[in-house]
Amino acid sequence: MAERMQICNLSENNFEQCTKCSICTTVCPVAAVTTDYPGPKQAGPDGERYRLKDPAYYDKALKLCLNCKRCEIACPSGVHIADIIQHARMSASEGRRATLRDTLLANTDLLGTMANLVAPVANTTLGLKPTKWVMHSMMAIDKHRTFPAYSRQKFTTWFKRHAAKDQDAFPNHVSYFHGCYVNYNFPKLGQDLVKLMNAVGYGVHLLDKEQCCGVALIANGLYKQAKRQGRVNIDSIRASVSRDKREVITTSSSCTFNMRDEYPSMLGIDNADVRDSISLATRFIYRLVDEEKIKLIFKQNYKRRLAYHTACHMQRMGWQLYSIELLRMIPGLDLVELEQECCGISGTYGFKKENYERSQAIGSILFKSIEEAQVEAVTTDCETCKWQIEMSTGLPVENPISVLADALDVEATRKANLISD
Amino acid sequence: MRMDTVIMGGGLSGLSCGIALAKRGKRVAIVASGQSTMLFNGGSMELLGHIDGKAVSNPLEAIATLPQDHPYSKIGADRIASLAERAKLLLTDSGINMEGNAAANHWRITPMGVAKPAWLTLNDHLRIDDLHHLPAKRLALMCIRGFFDEPNSMLAQGLRDLGFEVDAIEFTTDDITALRRSPSEMRSTSLSKRMMSNAAMQRMADQINQLATDADLVLLPSVLGQNDDSDFQTLQAMTHKPLRLVATLPPAVAGMRMMKQLRHYFKMLGGTYLMGDSAVSGTFDGNRLTSVSTAKLADMPLKADHFVLATGSFISRGLVADYERVYEPVLGVDVDADSDPDRWTRFGILEPQAYSRFGVATDGELRCLKQGQVIENLHAIGSVLSGHDAVKMGDGTGVSMLTALAVNDHIIKG
Amino acid sequence: MVTSEIYKKEYDVIIVGGGATGAGTARDCALRGLKVLLVERNDYSTGATGRNHGLMHSGARYAVTDGESASECISENMILRRIARHCVEETDGLFITLPEDDLQYQQTFVEACQRAGIRADIIDPEEARRIEPAVNPALIGAVRVPDAAIDPFRLTVANLLDARMHGADTLNYHEVEGLIINQGRVEGVKLFNKLSGEHAEVRGRVVVNAAGIWGQRIAQLAGVNISMFPARGALLIFGHRVNNMVINRCRKPANADILVPDDTVCVIGTTSDRIPIESVDDMRVTREEVDVLLKEGVKIAPSLATTRIIRAYAGVRPLVASDDDPSGRSISRGIVCLDHAKRDGLEGMITITGGKMMTYRLMGEIATNAVCAKLGNIAPCVTATQPLPGSEEDAPDQHDATKRYSFGQRAAIGRHGSLAARIEKDNDIDNALVCECEGVTVGEIKYAVHQLHVHNLVNLRRRTRVGMGTCQGKLCSCRAASLIGEFRHDVKGAQEDLAAFLDERWKGMRPVAWGDTLREAQLTAAIYEGLCGLDMAVNIEGKEDVQ
Repeated sequence: MAERMQICNLSENNFEQCTKCSICTTVCPVAAVTTDYPGPKQAGPDGERYRLKDPAYYDKALKLCLNCKRCEIACPSGVHIADIIQHARMSASEGRRATLRDTLLANTDLLGTMANLVAPVANTTLGLKPTKWVMHSMMAIDKHRTFPAYSRQKFTTWFKRHAAKDQDAFPNHVSYFHGCYVNYNFPKLGQDLVKLMNAVGYGVHLLDKEQCCGVALIANGLYKQAKRQGRVNIDSIRASVSRDKREVITTSSSCTFNMRDEYPSMLGIDNADVRDSISLATRFIYRLVDEEKIKLIFKQNYKRRLAYHTACHMQRMGWQLYSIELLRMIPGLDLVELEQECCGISGTYGFKKENYERSQAIGSILFKSIEEAQVEAVTTDCETCKWQIEMSTGLPVENPISVLADALDVEATRKANLISD
Repeated sequence: MRMDTVIMGGGLSGLSCGIALAKRGKRVAIVASGQSTMLFNGGSMELLGHIDGKAVSNPLEAIATLPQDHPYSKIGADRIASLAERAKLLLTDSGINMEGNAAANHWRITPMGVAKPAWLTLNDHLRIDDLHHLPAKRLALMCIRGFFDEPNSMLAQGLRDLGFEVDAIEFTTDDITALRRSPSEMRSTSLSKRMMSNAAMQRMADQINQLATDADLVLLPSVLGQNDDSDFQTLQAMTHKPLRLVATLPPAVAGMRMMKQLRHYFKMLGGTYLMGDSAVSGTFDGNRLTSVSTAKLADMPLKADHFVLATGSFISRGLVADYERVYEPVLGVDVDADSDPDRWTRFGILEPQAYSRFGVATDGELRCLKQGQVIENLHAIGSVLSGHDAVKMGDGTGVSMLTALAVNDHIIKG
Repeated sequence: MVTSEIYKKEYDVIIVGGGATGAGTARDCALRGLKVLLVERNDYSTGATGRNHGLMHSGARYAVTDGESASECISENMILRRIARHCVEETDGLFITLPEDDLQYQQTFVEACQRAGIRADIIDPEEARRIEPAVNPALIGAVRVPDAAIDPFRLTVANLLDARMHGADTLNYHEVEGLIINQGRVEGVKLFNKLSGEHAEVRGRVVVNAAGIWGQRIAQLAGVNISMFPARGALLIFGHRVNNMVINRCRKPANADILVPDDTVCVIGTTSDRIPIESVDDMRVTREEVDVLLKEGVKIAPSLATTRIIRAYAGVRPLVASDDDPSGRSISRGIVCLDHAKRDGLEGMITITGGKMMTYRLMGEIATNAVCAKLGNIAPCVTATQPLPGSEEDAPDQHDATKRYSFGQRAAIGRHGSLAARIEKDNDIDNALVCECEGVTVGEIKYAVHQLHVHNLVNLRRRTRVGMGTCQGKLCSCRAASLIGEFRHDVKGAQEDLAAFLDERWKGMRPVAWGDTLREAQLTAAIYEGLCGLDMAVNIEGKEDVQ
């Protein structure tokens, strides 16, 4: 053809690559439990054609999408189904204000900052029956939900007081994007990471400025705020990568996925220059082990049976194998790899009163498989999966980094990596 | 990341090969770009169904007459019987219960009531060994109200043409009517999810027991058991008549079940299955492939001693046709395809289409070629291979499984 | 009405041809109180009516070369906006000048438009890029005109429905195999029922030949001569709407210079080639035609280069030789209405031809006037003011975002206007989607089968858009074939119908069968042949309505 136009007949309009095979409909956890949701094919590529013709074809039921991305993973044609749905929601929400409840849920760091100041009070208050009643009825946050406990001391405070001064002494360095959960609710995970990285000769540093990655803001339609915070984060990451020559690692699969993939596709933030430098800690560590740059030595007497749950966004990134492979290096660890199913929480989705039952119904397949696995704890890379699984199964859930740190023979590892005290 | 073997493609051929290798203790990674075309499989495997439009009764004999470029000929016609036996065993080991004989095709019944030759069929699905001796006289065809992915009238007519007496009985249950509230999502796979509880199953059994009193055999669309055949067993235990399932239009529950079982077995054997990732390029060192990069592992390519290309045909994007040529998009290996696009297709949709026979070129050991040179550690299996026609010859699933096992042997040997 | 009873009736007028012109003539005649029969050899709107751009010309395209046609267009354009609201989308159009074109032509063009009474506003290229982001950003000039998009299938059906509501009878799949001629007077038609194989003779006082390009054959049957010049044009359909305004090139009409947004898709065309009259039934599109369309198309809207091509099709324009030119070489412009009594001494027959889909109503009016003159009917024509069924003032609007319609309901309102109210939607099964791409429900199919003369899937597609989406009927066609079989109580035909439909879809996909379209085709084969064995169940050789 003269100008090599249309040489591929492969559309740049991603939704047109859909061959209508309907495979995505078989994996959608929402359509499996409710007929109110039209399913990923209808909501995504089918609906998109009509919405392009006229936005009046927008269907409000699209808000039921969890954005779990399972449809995208299943699609044999590479259609970004969930992205299409999220974009449709975004265009439909233009000019509309989020509710107080959604704003509150979405601002995980604001909520966290306030709660940290009064952690004991906050934990009691958020757990109290009258408070739960108010949240359930006035704010539509489901009464079955327990907010994750807030820590008395923020991770950053701990880090500055106890760890920061030692970090420069290490031969290698990384920056750590800790995320809201580590900072406000569970600093121990951050401490575990520092312990692990230090043991293999890596100093850990905070970014110039870290804000909530915005995953919850996007889910709740607060796109402008998400974009503002995203820019701050990418600028800080850029400074770390280009100025300090430090890669950026994280311990949350959702934050990682959000900053790598949702920033450009949903928020239009250009992260092309630093995207490859943002990595989940397990991937970063696995690479070092694989390239024989570091060694991990584990405790001899360690013995546990754990189940690994692949978080939806983890699966979307395709990185679960790094966490799994690392965990498999622990000699005494009996690891059950669970069939990938959605836990149903999807960040703040399951917190909303109107979604509670659906959320639990979605998770039921996973909960059942955890029960059948007969394990003492579950391990997963996502903090919201952790809340959901802990609440629904009663089993403790740990991040793989904490499992590794727990199993690590620190002294032997330091020695093996030639780190002196 | 280092593996013994990396398989590109996670469908029937990739999983069969992966399972066989993992059973021999090999470290195997499968890169699967989405779900596979098995979701269009109605519950049967075919070795060879037709030659030149004529139904094949003994596949083993017929395979011996195939031209040299057919994958079966490359494997060697004399090896087919033993490979077929091993393939059947592999399925059984995975928990997939199928019956059939490589030396004598039986008949599977399609959603349109057509009898098609098949090698293996799931035990809970309808199969007919001999069209002159039907397994039942009176059939009750249970038609699910509001379910449009089973063309009941065509199916009933087809069964009557085969000599059955057919009573088409429409029924529904609370679970079915509840699902039908969705304008778009009443699919066989969604029904199978709704039918997982014993209570739902009992409601269906009650309907069958009440309505199908007059039949020797009760047929139900294949909307049961996306994990295994236990749901079918449960329903059978609740019903008074023998029960069989018939394939529906896709997405097919039977194919979904088989994929889940194969995947589960592969993982149980320690295999790594990278769902939703896709191989994008390879690094060659002379006549060897040294690593494969994937979209998601990005700068951490998968290294291995052996590689297997199981990326499927055009549907699965294992082959790509652009305006001018057909090519293999991941590694750029040689393909057998007509150079004139006007000859890729024919005017009538049901005529044999040349493109169905296109695929990657391989040597006698199913190794790929690149610019005419054999790549020593890269084999191709399944639908990506040239020289067969799954649609017109009914050899797709057989080629997938048998080439997978043949390549497993080459890898283990060498 | 039962077909056999129609055969026994006597009509004032028998109209041959079920395209827009025939339908428009039938409506006009019926509204003026005549007893009308319309016969069509295939399905309605299978000829040039269903094989064009779906462009509701403002007339601007003809302004420079043919002022008379241009004036006709703009006046009909304004009428159709009122009477056929549910068939029309008021998009407006642009005539763009590209760097390779002569900007001088723009002035000539605008002046010609003004002479014809077409509003033509020169706008800044920047403004053109703003109101139509798909336009080639390199444009150096733009004129805004009142072009629009029109759905010819809907338009034809609405005319037929109105004709029937006013007493007309209509028969599709009835081929005229001869005319009843008695002492120099046409007194009726000899029909062959292609569905039942019956032959019949039906009497009428006047026969109107509205058979488009096939009108030459009808004339031959009457022993008179009309010379047609078939001009073939090929078009490409893209997967979604790239543009929301019609985009034309502002230069002398040439290949592939119009891009029209039609419902959920957009269409680029056309090529233009004279073909011999013998090959008017061959609609195969060649690779060369596809090449030209793409090459020129991307100049209008560059994003066409990266948009999925769904299918290719071709149509034949029924150009007619001018009676004024004894050599028979020059082509008559505009509408041609021949009273064969005056022209050939044959009483009782009128030919209405030439013209455009766009001017179908006017052609109907002219033909009806001629019929009425013969029959002494003095009723006035009201088709310019009376809305078509579905398009009444208070008809619901698919674009009304304040209404909470389901996807299927909204799409059905878009297709049927107020007549969507006739579609059953009171239970979950009627609301179930059959065609998921185009939002066609069980209820809509039921309505089409029972009220819109649907015999098979191809008919259903023209009435409802079943199978016109991206997948070209891959999953829905089996569902729809079963439903038609059920509603028509004909199971045996359902498989053959399904195969014929898939074949018809394939004919359009084949010229563009590479990339995703080839994947789509392979998947269809895997499902219908591999999984279902449809190829073993049917024989579609010689099946009608497969082009």
